[in-house]
Amino acid sequence: MTNYLDELESDSIFIIREAYAKSKNLGMLWSMGKDSTVLLHLVRKAFLGNYPIVVIHIDTSYKIPEMISWRDDFARRNNLRLIVGVNKRALADGMAPEKGRLQCCGSLKTEALLDIVHEHRIQALLIGIRGDEEGSRGKERIVSPRLHSSTWAYKQQPAELWHYYNLHLPQDVHVRIHPLLRWTELDIWNYIRREKLEVIPLYYAKDGKRYRSLGCYPCTDSIESGARNVDEIIEELKSTKLSERAGRAQDKVDTYAMQKLRKSGYM
Amino acid sequence: MLCKNSANQDICDIPQQEVYDKPAFTVVVVGSVDHGKSTLLGRLLMESGAVEVDRVRRVETICAAKGSNFEPAFLLDALEEEQSQGVSIESTHCQLRYEGQKFQFIDAPGHLEFIKNMTGAASYARIAILVIDAVEGVRSQTIRHLEVLAMLGVTRLLVAVNKVDKINYDSAAYHDICAKTQELLNTLKLDCDHFLPISALNGENLFKASENLPWYSGKTLIQVLSELAPPAARGCNSGYFRMMLQDVYRFGGERFFAGRVVSGSITPGQLILFSPSGKVSIVEAIISYPDEKRELAVAGECVALKLSEQIFVERGEIVSRPDQAPEVLDEFIATIVWLAEEELELGAQYILKIGTAEVGCSVYAFTSNNESVDLLNRGDVRDVIIKPSSPIALDRIEGTSGLNRFVLCTKYDTVAAGSVMEEKRIFRGMPVASPFVQRENGYLERMVIEAAQGHKAAVLWLTGLSGSGKSALAKALEARLFAAGRTVMVLDGDNLRKGLCADLGFSREDRAENIRRIAEVARLLLDAGTLVIVACLSPYAEDRDRARSIIGEDDYLEIFLSCPLEVCQGRDPKGLYKKAASGEITSFSGLDSPYQPPVHPNLLIDSNQMSLDQEVEAVIALLRSKQVIGTAIGRIWPAKRPNTSQSMAREVI
Ligand SMILES: Nc1nc2c(ncn2[C@@H]2O[C@H](COP(=O)(O)OP(=O)(O)OP(=O)(O)O)[C@@H](O)[C@H]2O)c(=O)[nH]1
Ligand SMILES: [Mg+2]
Repeated sequence: MTNYLDELESDSIFIIREAYAKSKNLGMLWSMGKDSTVLLHLVRKAFLGNYPIVVIHIDTSYKIPEMISWRDDFARRNNLRLIVGVNKRALADGMAPEKGRLQCCGSLKTEALLDIVHEHRIQALLIGIRGDEEGSRGKERIVSPRLHSSTWAYKQQPAELWHYYNLHLPQDVHVRIHPLLRWTELDIWNYIRREKLEVIPLYYAKDGKRYRSLGCYPCTDSIESGARNVDEIIEELKSTKLSERAGRAQDKVDTYAMQKLRKSGYM
Repeated sequence: MLCKNSANQDICDIPQQEVYDKPAFTVVVVGSVDHGKSTLLGRLLMESGAVEVDRVRRVETICAAKGSNFEPAFLLDALEEEQSQGVSIESTHCQLRYEGQKFQFIDAPGHLEFIKNMTGAASYARIAILVIDAVEGVRSQTIRHLEVLAMLGVTRLLVAVNKVDKINYDSAAYHDICAKTQELLNTLKLDCDHFLPISALNGENLFKASENLPWYSGKTLIQVLSELAPPAARGCNSGYFRMMLQDVYRFGGERFFAGRVVSGSITPGQLILFSPSGKVSIVEAIISYPDEKRELAVAGECVALKLSEQIFVERGEIVSRPDQAPEVLDEFIATIVWLAEEELELGAQYILKIGTAEVGCSVYAFTSNNESVDLLNRGDVRDVIIKPSSPIALDRIEGTSGLNRFVLCTKYDTVAAGSVMEEKRIFRGMPVASPFVQRENGYLERMVIEAAQGHKAAVLWLTGLSGSGKSALAKALEARLFAAGRTVMVLDGDNLRKGLCADLGFSREDRAENIRRIAEVARLLLDAGTLVIVACLSPYAEDRDRARSIIGEDDYLEIFLSCPLEVCQGRDPKGLYKKAASGEITSFSGLDSPYQPPVHPNLLIDSNQMSLDQEVEAVIALLRSKQVIGTAIGRIWPAKRPNTSQSMAREVI
């Protein structure tokens, strides 16, 4: 194998298969973004065209509307076993970004996720985060055990060497598995191009703007861009001077906002 | 002024070629705490333009708020605890491209407490940069990190003496540190001739040579790195085929054996062996999605095999060709680094993971410097003996399949990482004579016989598949040595099975006993001053190693007749492969019974490429190099001895 995309793909498939072999109830998070859509494709490759695991979307109700319609359409066409998690309690109590961005994320995303994990007795979760997204994700392990409070104990992560992953866990701990941790944003787009993957059209420029990273509409800005297809996105990324999450409000609340969110179980 | 080295200054114009599609070389940065590893990478990222401006701005803002100078290390050390204490806790991966090469850097933390993170980081690397603080010099963590690198087999090394700005760019002090480091590298048997002075903080001698170092005329860090980068990407298709079995899937009523090829390659139709279970089957198809049926799978790929014969095997097996089997051991020696906070206690039980196999094991002795140690503390690198609770398949060879690398775990944690040692083995299962039997001494000494006959004795142990040419070579060697007047005797495995070993079959135990008897006979002949040629398939490495220990390390010369199975099958001198194919014979080495090729034979003969004459010459050369023949006593012969007949007939006394 001399192509780096083959290497990345094969590493990820290995990880996904390890997770499936060792965990009783494996699920994956799908945010409809480019990364988790690539992850979905890798799952399918790992299992020779099958999806033997549940696919979970955490819906905050603040998602860009096109995302929801695309989600349902894509899931139907691909026969996904889709579970949608919504923190109805918090929404009924009026949770919204105006109540504080971090509180909103913690409640509508982290809490909603934990509810789903408990309800469906999920033991292990595949999540499509990448180390190059922002600082605290760069400190993640491929396999990250979470205590029942879902805390990320980043000072005591178990050693991870070669291809050996620690997937044995005590009860009431779930484990997060990050098959895309060593991919970069550019790798993702190169792979989408090579595999001719369908991604949500919000990534392609319309009227001089496109989304580089997808989230909730109150907290995610689109960027100035003329990139209308995958080739143009790849060219744009090769010369960009700004980071991928420059349009995301979460990271700007305070210096270590993302670390704090993620420590308490955010993806 | 806010920051001394903000993103706007000092950014070199590095030509960015189209290197996006290339595989990256992984480089780990190691060294003692605070010696400047993260700073080095932070500067490299900034100077190469690999880090976005908003990220640099963030760090500028953080440093300004702290009232400190700009810290390039914060580009990697993003955790609040790391920044407040100025120490790396976790490793960080980052990428940069330089002149057609793509590097994946891993920043390892230096503190002893985080040795597990450093070891993990280094386990992915092929090249290492060792950073040494010019003021502090070599510290205990510097030594530890080097020991870990040696254990992991990361031997491409570059030493960067950092913070030379703090020693006023003094060349004498720099050379002093280099000399001390060189000494250390020598004792650890690590090879390195790349030393360079840098200032990570000021970006001196990273991408650009520094005016402050007029006495240094060598290359910059990035230039040295480019040269160190190995030509080939990871995963080599050469080497024996190995696949780690991850899982067995059942989709649509069919079973798929899913795994990763870690060395060599595989094609449909190939006969395969599963180790340690010893089961065999044939690959019917190689499956991946979406290309259904593949003609080939190579090292690095994750695929699934469909088998033409249904067998029951589970995750953890190693798949190979039967004629290139891995070893299956229940005891081995290894070097490990202890990673856990709790000490390792002698005899304690751990979980051993090699490939995808997991078995219980005990770690029961320490052989470092032949002293036994009771405990291992975090960060200690030591030689140990590991006894798995059931036999485990592995490769002792470094570098091809990675199946010499393992971890030790407790239920939920990884506590040690190790690599199996190539050479040393322990032998059990040898019958022990009754303690009441006492050796009788005072017979003719071998040395006396050797001196009288004018040449030394040795055992040439020929191993290889059936049809690889062992007997043919044995005959040719016998004739040649006899003609030269040497005392020579061939022990042919097939002939011995007609008499001495007629009671033995082909079970694992019987094969072991067969080899033991042949080795004992060879030793007797050796004592009689004979050049013994053993021609015996001897498929198991463990049995050959036992023969070596019976005969003695110095007198046992292992000669591997390497020949592809297909060629041997074509030759089939005794019609045995045909009988095996028809099912008339079973347990046939290389087919439904493993053949484990020697890891380090004294001589490897490619009998498919070499003529018989060449093979004989190669063995004669080996005997000369071992001074069995051609030494002073050898040269007197045959002149001293009368009656050497021209007809080569053996003289009757
Ligand atoms: N004067 C000077 N200071 C430096 C240089 N390189 C690093 N430093 C300083 O040394 C301190 C430690 O640097 P780091 O890069 O965090 O050290 P490290 O090796 O990554 O430390 P750990 O990861 O905790 O083991 C920081 O305050 C740096 O500014 C240099 O070349 N010259
Ligand atoms: Mg550091």
